[in-house]
Amino acid sequence: MNFDELFGNFPTLTITGLEQGAIYALVALGYTLVYGVLRLINFAHSEVFMVGTFATLWTWQFLGYDQNSAAPAFGPLLVAIIAGLLVAAAASALTAVTVELVAYRPLRRRNAPPLAFLITAIGASFVLAESFGIGTERAPFGMPTLIPQETLFTVFGAGVTNLQMLILGITLVMMVGLDQFVNRSRLGRGIRAVAQDADTAALMGVNKNRVILLVFVLGGIMAGVGALLWDVRYGFTKFNIGFLLGLKAFAAAVLGGIGNLRGALLGGLLLGLAENYAAGLFGGEWKDFTGFVLLIVLLMFRPTGLLGESLGRARA
Amino acid sequence: MLLEINDLTLLYGRIQALHGISLTVNEGEVVALIGANGAGKTTTMRAISGLRPVASGSIVFDGTDVTRMRADLRVVRGIGQAPEGRGVFPGMSVVENLEMGAYTRRDKGGIADDLKMVMDLFPRLAERRKQAGGTLSGGEQQMLAVGRALMARPRLLLLDEPSMGLAPKLIQQIFEIITRINEQGTTILLVEQNAQQALSRAHRGYVLETGRIVKEGTGRDLLHDPAVKEAYLGVA
Repeated sequence: MNFDELFGNFPTLTITGLEQGAIYALVALGYTLVYGVLRLINFAHSEVFMVGTFATLWTWQFLGYDQNSAAPAFGPLLVAIIAGLLVAAAASALTAVTVELVAYRPLRRRNAPPLAFLITAIGASFVLAESFGIGTERAPFGMPTLIPQETLFTVFGAGVTNLQMLILGITLVMMVGLDQFVNRSRLGRGIRAVAQDADTAALMGVNKNRVILLVFVLGGIMAGVGALLWDVRYGFTKFNIGFLLGLKAFAAAVLGGIGNLRGALLGGLLLGLAENYAAGLFGGEWKDFTGFVLLIVLLMFRPTGLLGESLGRARA
Repeated sequence: MLLEINDLTLLYGRIQALHGISLTVNEGEVVALIGANGAGKTTTMRAISGLRPVASGSIVFDGTDVTRMRADLRVVRGIGQAPEGRGVFPGMSVVENLEMGAYTRRDKGGIADDLKMVMDLFPRLAERRKQAGGTLSGGEQQMLAVGRALMARPRLLLLDEPSMGLAPKLIQQIFEIITRINEQGTTILLVEQNAQQALSRAHRGYVLETGRIVKEGTGRDLLHDPAVKEAYLGVA
């Protein structure tokens, strides 16, 4: 065990952990929102994320950037980022809604048992991943370098880069926005009502199917934003990119307490931190191992996750 | 006629829960539906509000056939319900719960007025306005459920066992409030095990036994009916 590495690089590991954790958190929200309302693990959500990574890439290619492009000036860069965010969020939301309409709603109408939903979710995930696999010949795609990494300032000797600030900043804005929407708006209240008691929500005049659709849209938007941040940070995508990331985001959602929005943020950040500290302590190959060991150990002591279950029981 | 139910049957899986129920509720009335546990009272309510699909028969509300209409659309039409077991949203505050009652309404001013009206009706709720619904006592949750149903300004209010689990003093109070709501112009269909209170407050009543209506009449007649007395009022 390399304690020198852990303690010597602690600030850097922390910042990297938060940065990765932020992306986990954004994707985790989709699992948690859908679970909160439907008590369903939407395994196809990893592909909702994957579609977002490609949507971003294609948007940038459409705008004329490729891997050899020089980094754009601030104005065009802003355009590329905003366009990427909008298209990725839209594409991911559309994918999520399609999965709901094609794979889940028909089962609900027939009162299918939970196991049928689980299998359908896994099936939808494979169909989406494989269709992209076939369409892209299973090749990895590099992203244009729109933002060259640059250290902005140092905290306790750790350099904080412009990318890290961008990722943390956008994640924070998205989280606060979603939290406000769910807790303050009329539609958000409808989501919480269905999550807490679907039958009574119907007696209040809440259209359950519309709430469910909304939840898929919101989860998709969050995953699409996470996908763009992933592209900016890791610089490539592939048809199966969603698999491991989706599992980790799901783990993060469970860690924080599935069905709980703030839990998804907490779980994502904790998972990112734990992975990076473990990488410092044991070496990078232990990263994925640690995340899931953490999950199992934590669930032994707190089976409902850190902040507990439910979209509304403890105010989102 | 505000509500007209014709020959309604309903199945739970293979078990028939309702065997052709017919009943009517006129505008301005309080109608009581009494019966023992498992007679089908709550099932009838859930059929009227649209939470359970019916097998055959029809439900006509204010001239419109709503038999196959989605539950949330029936609320828009004017059917409000305080469900059995109260159905308070546990993670929402008292005020948020009440505002959920007005979910389909857009008239902010009217909603604020009604919020005040409900708080006046149930001062206990005003004291606990910020408290989460799940932390209220049973009686408070019952008041919240009734108040929340009123927030929709329903034309027909379905009350499912509003006195269940309440202390005698509170039972008296909740029935007084029901009478007052009715006097202010809301039509009420009331399901109750407390037949004495229900029938003495109702204009008319129906007696339900194993999914069938076995008797109907004015509240007073049923109250003095020997068979009803013996079966539901605990008087031999």
